[in-house]
Amino acid sequence: MRGTRAAAGAVALTAVLLAACSSPAPAPAPAIQAAPLPDIAKLVPSVQKQITVQHEYLKARLTDPTTTPTDRSNAFGELAKLFMAAQLPEAAEAGFRTAQSLNPDDYRWPYYLAHIARTQGDLPKAAGLFEEVLRRRPDDMDALVWLGDVNLAVGRPESAAPSFARALTLDPNSVSARYGAGRAALATGDYRKAVALLEEVLRLNPKATAAHYPLSQAHAALGNQEQSAEHLRLRRDGRIAPRDTLMVELDSLLESPQTFESIGIRRLDDEDWTGAAEQFRKGLALAPDNAALHHRLATALNLMGDEKSSRAEFEIAITKDPEYFPAQFSLGVLLQADGRHAQAVDRFTAALRVRPTYTEARLRLASSLRRLGRLNEALDEYSQAMAGAPERSEARIGYVMVLTKLRRYRDARETLNEAAAAGDLVFTHALARLLATAPDASVRDGRRSLALIQQMLEKGRTLELGETYAMTLAELGQFREAQSLQRDLIAAADRAKLPALRRRLVERLALYDRADPCRTPWTDDEMP
Amino acid sequence: MRFADAHRAPLWHHVSHGARGWCLGLTLSLAACAGGDAAPPTVVDTPSGPPADPSVEWFTDEAQASGIDFIHVNGAAGQFYYPEILPPGVALFDMDNDGDLDVYLVQGHPLGTPNANPELRGRLYRNDLEVRPDGSRSLRFVDVTAQSGIEAVAYGLGVAAGDVDNDGFVDLYLMHLGGNQLYRNRGGGRFVDITATSGTANQPGFAVSAAFLDYDRDGALDLYVGNNVNYRGLDKESICPNPAGARDYCPPQIYGGIRDRLYHNEGDGRFTDVSATALVGLRPAPALGVSTADFDGDGWIDIYVADDGADNLLWMNQRNGTFRESALTSGAAITAEGKAEASMGVDAGDYDNDGDEDLVMTELTSQGFNLFVNDGAARFRDQGAVSGLGPASMPYTGWGTAWFDYDNDGWLDTFSANGTIITLEGHDRAAFPYDQTRLLFRNLGNGRFEDVTARAGASFALSESGRGAAFGDVDNDGDVDILVGNDAGRARLLINHVGNRQHWLGLRLVGGPGDRDQLGARVGVTRSDGTVLWRRVRADGSYASASDPRVLVGLGGTNAVSAVDVWWPDGGREHWPTVPVDTWTTLQKGSAK
Repeated sequence: MRGTRAAAGAVALTAVLLAACSSPAPAPAPAIQAAPLPDIAKLVPSVQKQITVQHEYLKARLTDPTTTPTDRSNAFGELAKLFMAAQLPEAAEAGFRTAQSLNPDDYRWPYYLAHIARTQGDLPKAAGLFEEVLRRRPDDMDALVWLGDVNLAVGRPESAAPSFARALTLDPNSVSARYGAGRAALATGDYRKAVALLEEVLRLNPKATAAHYPLSQAHAALGNQEQSAEHLRLRRDGRIAPRDTLMVELDSLLESPQTFESIGIRRLDDEDWTGAAEQFRKGLALAPDNAALHHRLATALNLMGDEKSSRAEFEIAITKDPEYFPAQFSLGVLLQADGRHAQAVDRFTAALRVRPTYTEARLRLASSLRRLGRLNEALDEYSQAMAGAPERSEARIGYVMVLTKLRRYRDARETLNEAAAAGDLVFTHALARLLATAPDASVRDGRRSLALIQQMLEKGRTLELGETYAMTLAELGQFREAQSLQRDLIAAADRAKLPALRRRLVERLALYDRADPCRTPWTDDEMP
Repeated sequence: MRFADAHRAPLWHHVSHGARGWCLGLTLSLAACAGGDAAPPTVVDTPSGPPADPSVEWFTDEAQASGIDFIHVNGAAGQFYYPEILPPGVALFDMDNDGDLDVYLVQGHPLGTPNANPELRGRLYRNDLEVRPDGSRSLRFVDVTAQSGIEAVAYGLGVAAGDVDNDGFVDLYLMHLGGNQLYRNRGGGRFVDITATSGTANQPGFAVSAAFLDYDRDGALDLYVGNNVNYRGLDKESICPNPAGARDYCPPQIYGGIRDRLYHNEGDGRFTDVSATALVGLRPAPALGVSTADFDGDGWIDIYVADDGADNLLWMNQRNGTFRESALTSGAAITAEGKAEASMGVDAGDYDNDGDEDLVMTELTSQGFNLFVNDGAARFRDQGAVSGLGPASMPYTGWGTAWFDYDNDGWLDTFSANGTIITLEGHDRAAFPYDQTRLLFRNLGNGRFEDVTARAGASFALSESGRGAAFGDVDNDGDVDILVGNDAGRARLLINHVGNRQHWLGLRLVGGPGDRDQLGARVGVTRSDGTVLWRRVRADGSYASASDPRVLVGLGGTNAVSAVDVWWPDGGREHWPTVPVDTWTTLQKGSAK
């Protein structure tokens, strides 16, 4: 901590231990004072008030002779928690140190100190403090997992493993402990153990997608290249951390718009829509012009089913800040769902003006343009989406579908030929569909379509692939087989409770019943 | 149901495959990526380290004394404009071919108003190094900006250097807010702005780092520009308060990404943006550092991009004018834990002397610097934690960095210029409260590093907002010096006083029509004890900066070399049976006996 600490200047809050005299006579109990507050002028008034109130409370406890050391410790600790939450780590550290000196048995103070050290990058100090917590509470799950995590980060997996193992004996279902144990096994070269532990993490919580990356590495080390590739593909950024009651409480401590927003987001993650809305409203009470909070509230209201209020909040958000593109996008989505495509186009366009790389907005814009019959504009948007996010197959599929709407079947075929050559079966399927149904006879090729479908059937079967299969059979004049297959598909759609698909299947069955082939590659409801 | 969603539909005949089943996935070869299974680095000798003479400061700051009286102005005045947090880059390059390194320093100015101060512009300093017959020397820099033709009055971010027209004079690519500039060096310390005719303005774009490389072996240096964010202008700046409502600089994710650019040098003064066709699968990402090297040993130069808070990129040269992005499958995108970190500076170098290019990256506070160790086939293992580099650097936010052998012991060490991006408590009355001290790590030759900052001298105890760093032998005395750019602070020239106490080999590798520096060439130096050290000609890497393209090889305990092998970037190879040590030598392509 040479850098930050050396130049950090005055510590904001400290306990000053004042020796009353320097003679060798028995020293009186040291007096403890609260140091002046650090500079809090840049904090929002509500947080300033919280801090000054707690500071006054602390001073009152210190001057009250009846206050016990434990109460004083708590008063110091509570103020330090506010400092920590307000990202004033040095003032917080001083406060927690004093709290700890007044009540050495309270595990909370070294726990918070450990997190301060961890976030400042002083991992050896953090490890020592987590160990201190564990001396007071040997079964503290959070401290065990964090201690293991810190040891992993400093390259000591052999020291990390016992912490995770101990945590797992206390709670075998702890995802964070198991994840840590898996990473420790990986780091020590015990790949089989790593695979077992990390696969169990994903079984316990499939949302723990961060586990895919170390799992991929463990599989690779074992020579399981296919599994490795699959887990690499599934890997997403994310954190797998212990429940951490103390830190969650601390993160919720400040009465600031940002804190209420954070809490609200956590509520959304927990699917507590009402709780989320409540937090966002608290934030808006402090910051009524905050577009992000209006947007979040609108999202929560929408999830609660209150579409009218939701839409109003989205509109307020973009009034407060027209550059706040998430609200522009969300409002566009609502308008699009209502079939108000012209207005939706305006919203998506506004979002893209701010964030041109927002692929989801561009795809939605293209879709609304297509539905408005502005096909060339839609084609251009899909084209831009393809260039910007080549991994998004929807962009290329949308592009092809608009080409078919423009009767540019040859262009559609060439686009799909190229895309299918790269191996993505979505495009192979689309190509088979086009070859079976294109109104342009020079584009149709029933035999090639059949060959493609047979390849795909080896990999698996979906209702839509079956639908294309039936179209191909009809194109080849095998109407009886097409009818039979179509009836199977209708039954499957019934079982799966897919009425829209059923309706489409029935309409196409009527064609086959009349010995007519299908000449509509995709209906509007199949298009993005 | 939409057609594109069809493969996520309930299943016909109840056979589950779903969308994932359709994807063919990636062919991986990650056997060495998982950590813990590779052989330890080959140890060929024991590093002896610099002499333990406490009276000698390893590095001293000689900037002002030598005439570089430069203070960077970032214009920060409480508006928290994102560009303020990124500069400045710095460059060491020999603009006049007089054999010593000149200096270019990126400058800013107050944002939100036009630059009213003509003095606030990028500065060019000529090195008038004097070496006397007894070997003593004196450094003197002269500000030659006014007569240079360089008009860098826009808000500067970074700089890259390379001879784009093969005339033997190193040209400068300056990265600015609002558009980059390419200055052709006409010789004699005169430059001319060829941005418009070359087509290299990088607009729309926002770049701090770029690299020159000849990726298609046509003999002309192409240009990779790493773009950071989609910065839409000062009037559209975002506001990013912390949980207590105190405002600070926003992270790059707030602004959205923008794609990097690859410019192909057409050889006639024009560059063509080939990003769409050459960088297959290019996506917007917040690039900060760029380093080019041949990571898989196939003789073709690849590109590594350090991204801020997103997966880093590894563009593998496909030898047909295109690249394939393969950082994730190569183990070089994210940490062993699976996290994308905030990578800032980066460099490639053979830190373990096993003949391939390893990567070092500087990161955000509490993340720790990364060390990605190459197995020779561009498969990497994250060894940041076990090397000691990660844990020791965790309190720091690092920027400019490099592999360089400061003590000439034959092992590449590393340095970082540091400074936070979050206001430091207790510093908030400072003009720019983001300062940290620098770091120097010594390579112990066993895969581990020792933090030797405390022994490096008083200049390492200065707390400043370090950003760019360029590396090179500024006084031509046989060891690597460091030029550091500080955000809203004074430029520092850290002169090395200990490296040349061990023997060294200094090489300049030139070739082609103008005898330009052969960026990307690899040189294998066989020492008298039979061990071989592989180094590379490069001016890129670090952060926003350009370094000395010459190769300085510390020889450690040996005092002679028995061979020098050069692998030129066009695929040609040459062998020199002997090259003198403890002096600088130019090896010209095609001149080996």
